[in-house]
Amino acid sequence: MLSLRDVSVRGRGQPRLDRVCLDLTAGERVALIGPSGAGKSSLLAVANGQLPPDGGQVFWFGESQARSGSRRRRRQQTRIGMLWQELRLIEELSVQQNINAARLAHWGWPRALLNLLVPVDTAACAALLERLDLNPDLLAQPVAALSGGQRQRVALARLLRQDPLLVLADEPLASLDPRLAQELLGLLLQQANAPRALLMSLHRPDLLQHFQRVVGLRAGRVVFDLAPAELEAEQLAALYSGCEPCP
Amino acid sequence: MKPAPPLWVLVPALVMVPVLLLLPGISHGGGWELIGQFAWAAVNPSLDPVVLRSVLQGLATTLGIALLGWAVSLLLGLVLGVLSSRTVWRMLAGSSWPAELLRRLLAVPRAIHELLWGLLLLSLLGLNPAVAIAAIALPYGALVARMISDLLDALPTRQLEALRCAGAGPCGALLTAIGPPLMPQVISYGGYRLECALRSATLLGVFGLGGLGNELLLTLQSLQFHELWSGLWLLLAVMLSLEALVSGLRRRWSMPARLALEQRHPVGRSSRELLLAAAALLPLLLGVGRALAVDPAALLHWQPLPPLAPGGWQAALALPWLAMVGQTLLLTLVAAALAVGGAPLLLLVVAPWRWGGWLLRLLWALGRLWPPPLTALLLLFVFKPSLTTAALALGFHNLGILGRLLLEGVEATGPEREEALRCSGSGARLALLYGRFSGLARSYLAYGAYRADVILRETVVVGMVAGTGLGSQLRESLSAFAFDQLALLLAAYALLTLLGEDLSDRARRALLRA
Repeated sequence: MLSLRDVSVRGRGQPRLDRVCLDLTAGERVALIGPSGAGKSSLLAVANGQLPPDGGQVFWFGESQARSGSRRRRRQQTRIGMLWQELRLIEELSVQQNINAARLAHWGWPRALLNLLVPVDTAACAALLERLDLNPDLLAQPVAALSGGQRQRVALARLLRQDPLLVLADEPLASLDPRLAQELLGLLLQQANAPRALLMSLHRPDLLQHFQRVVGLRAGRVVFDLAPAELEAEQLAALYSGCEPCP
Repeated sequence: MKPAPPLWVLVPALVMVPVLLLLPGISHGGGWELIGQFAWAAVNPSLDPVVLRSVLQGLATTLGIALLGWAVSLLLGLVLGVLSSRTVWRMLAGSSWPAELLRRLLAVPRAIHELLWGLLLLSLLGLNPAVAIAAIALPYGALVARMISDLLDALPTRQLEALRCAGAGPCGALLTAIGPPLMPQVISYGGYRLECALRSATLLGVFGLGGLGNELLLTLQSLQFHELWSGLWLLLAVMLSLEALVSGLRRRWSMPARLALEQRHPVGRSSRELLLAAAALLPLLLGVGRALAVDPAALLHWQPLPPLAPGGWQAALALPWLAMVGQTLLLTLVAAALAVGGAPLLLLVVAPWRWGGWLLRLLWALGRLWPPPLTALLLLFVFKPSLTTAALALGFHNLGILGRLLLEGVEATGPEREEALRCSGSGARLALLYGRFSGLARSYLAYGAYRADVILRETVVVGMVAGTGLGSQLRESLSAFAFDQLALLLAAYALLTLLGEDLSDRARRALLRA
């Protein structure tokens, strides 16, 4: 699915990513943890193609990254979905228009313009909302009128409408109350069965048992890459404290 | 069916369809080789020292006129603005009716375009640098006055009342309570007016009131395109440096930007710099005044009016008023739609290209720079004089102004949502449309409504050259010294502009309210 080979990203002073290697196969759910500034967001930005690495290589679905702006690159990116921490919904558009925005890559201009004029693909959008326990009547509402939990789900609905194979999530639980966080995590894990995969950064050690692997990142380097059962309390403490974990 | 915000900004561009369909009909067949020569001369301007010296001289005069006109207008505007503020009158005299009266009176000089002022004063006073300066200062002063009194009256009066209760005198209380919050906005707006003054001074020159504009017109009419471009490139350099200076100072002193007039920033440690800048401005203004040999007393020597033509008012009333007003309104609508819709459409098409951003910036700078009558003259090489020709010239000029504003707005909305769409594989143009245009549609269109009001005022300028609307009649009446017709034409213009101002105010409020 995703393969990072010795990926480095320069930063001011120390590198943001330093020769990072990471592989994700279909059906895997991987948690990415580490202190603030460890490079989690940079890693996800490299993984979704937003940030070009200064060194190393990125492979998506077994192919190398195509040239930025090319048609092939766009096709590659349609299969990678990203859930942003601040959601990045378009406030001024309706819920339906936001969900449909995930299809822009496949649509031509006529359909993209039509989506701004009349409801398009209502059945598909309504089905997604129902799947996420939202009332389909919300489709016509502007996103700006929704509550925090509803917006979270609309962002997830947009992700599902894109129907990606690889899902990347940048601290999606950070600003949620415990109940909402638990719900969202459940929804994300549920749809990440094979052939899909999930890579998610988070700050909640109590939720790690839901993942198959935990990758610890510190100062731009992968410090460990283990199953949650193998992860010891000292390693976790060391990741967030001052000293390097002992091998 | 309810169009979403990103579509709103593109809807005005639909006017291009009828305009493009009309173009073959108004083209007179020839003239394309002249346009070709003109375009070729752009990369090949004349570097002859004689030409350059004369261009530089003209440019210096234009800059001097702009600077002096701007300074006088600010001074006038400050005084009149304070005098037409309801808050101030209520504080000083207990009643606000003098403010209301002055506001209504000031609407008249504001409604008349600076070119009209220039031409009128020119025929009354003869050629004189003071005429061009007064032509800029009068309408600009009234505009600044309205801005200042609106700002003054919108400020909360609690601090003022508190100071008065504590026993402060009325003037001291006003200065202390209202001065600091007002200053940043006035300075920011003042900087913007200086940019406008440079464009106005160039335009006045085209109609013979002195400076570079006249050289531009003469070289265009005598087809000396290489010399024309020497002037245009120099003017472009000066205009872009002025804009960079103004926006640099605005940022340095953390003044509000143009699309964000509701934000308030305190004047901080930069107030010392502000005072220094103001102190440096005074000797500069005096020096410029000396160099241009400006004599304010010349404004008092009126020439005797020629006798009126027989037939008098009856002949003036018999002019085809309805058709002229209709043409003027249609010209305004078409030009405004071309400019308001053209800017986002061009941005969508061109911006994703490799050098697209720079190409657009250059095109828009040229649009702002070229006085609309020069564009109209250039268009007349290939098209017949018509409403469409006038609309194209006026639209191109305002495209330059709106395009720059749109680009600033796009940059201010932040890249996050566009990036999110790009990351899901969407194309650059659709990501721009969905991700950025959604957020800025309202404020952009609100500015477009204000611009339409300015365009209505500017119709006179191209109307005179392209022979359409009230402007073409104005040209005839001016050359015939028919002052009865002129008076009626001015009244018609003032009435139209005031109505337009009211309409555009309503449209803007409706757009920003939701």
